[in-house]
Amino acid sequence: MRAERSDEELMLLFKQGSRDAFEELFARHHRRIIHFCYRMTGDQARAEEAAQEIFLRIARAASTYQPTAKFTTWAYQVARRTTLNYLRDEKDGAEKVPIPVGEEQDDGSPAPALRGPETLDPERMAWGAEVRDRMLAALRELPEGYRSALILAGAEGLSYQEAATVLGITVQAVKSRVFRAREMLLARLPETLR
Amino acid sequence: MECRELGEALSAYMDGEAGSPEAGIVEAHLAGCASCRVLLGRMREAEDSLARIEAQVPDEFRETLLARLEKEELLPRRRSLFVFSVRWLAVPAAAAAALALFLLTSRESGVNLGKGPEPPARVAQGPPSAAAHGAGAPAAKEASPVRNGSAVAVTAPEGSVAAAAGELSGEEREIVAWLELLENPVVLEEGGDVDEMEIFSAPKKDRG
Repeated sequence: MRAERSDEELMLLFKQGSRDAFEELFARHHRRIIHFCYRMTGDQARAEEAAQEIFLRIARAASTYQPTAKFTTWAYQVARRTTLNYLRDEKDGAEKVPIPVGEEQDDGSPAPALRGPETLDPERMAWGAEVRDRMLAALRELPEGYRSALILAGAEGLSYQEAATVLGITVQAVKSRVFRAREMLLARLPETLR
Repeated sequence: MECRELGEALSAYMDGEAGSPEAGIVEAHLAGCASCRVLLGRMREAEDSLARIEAQVPDEFRETLLARLEKEELLPRRRSLFVFSVRWLAVPAAAAAALALFLLTSRESGVNLGKGPEPPARVAQGPPSAAAHGAGAPAAKEASPVRNGSAVAVTAPEGSVAAAAGELSGEEREIVAWLELLENPVVLEEGGDVDEMEIFSAPKKDRG
């Protein structure tokens, strides 16, 4: 039995003109890409459009693809840049907290404002469309830099190193952004859930 | 480490990204701090909720994308297997049908094609001798008109048609010979000056 080809091998085959290779890559990764777009934009229609555009860009860039980078890392870079275009019309109010200049060196932060555990009681937070919508609304309140770091390193399961590569920042900056995104999210969720 | 200093380390610890010394510090702190344990629980809960947010993937998503890629010529078009097989089956099938019709309706003897090292079929020049004797001598054998009037003999490898020759009529042996010729077009090429299209055209009936 032939061993399964790696993503990088498939991308090289597609670069040489193999349709099957591209279809295999699509089958492996289209769900994670569209889920990423949805978490970033909070909108189903935009997520579909963005995901289509991402695969188109991947196909267009195939001729320049080099297997030095992990395929998923490269794909997420394309995905992040593409979704930024779909976030341009976000309300100015969403960018409430700018990322401090030089935050990569910032190693001190005030403890998050703790809320009582009853505000996030699992019995009260039964999963449903309402909770999902409130989570998405809270995510949209986050600056894009924090939001993307949280989604990549959290929900998407990338390592901090991979997320750093995607975002073009240091691992320490990823660590800091992820924590601050969680602080902000927890601060907003109790309000939206009331 | 104070709680206010632990937040970032706690977050990294939850993601499995805290190094050995840091992870040890966090675990020691958690063992004695209920509020940080609560905070860790809330972060995990929010993370689980975030991971459960998924888009719907429309049924047509894949086909829409592939169509766009084909339109931009970024993806080779996939040929329909049905079209492919029909196309490649149609040529010999149509040729065989046309030949069969030609030979069955023709009352002339078969066309002789150029001799090669292994000519495919021995064509009966007229009805079998037994039938000829019984039914009376047929019309004189005559080659079908070819481009330059040259006759080309078609013979079959030993054993291919000969075994069945005794069971087939002269016309049937001709049909078999032509079908075998389609499978072995080398003879046509070796003939050189034979217009292949002449093979499929209706013969000029010349009753002498």
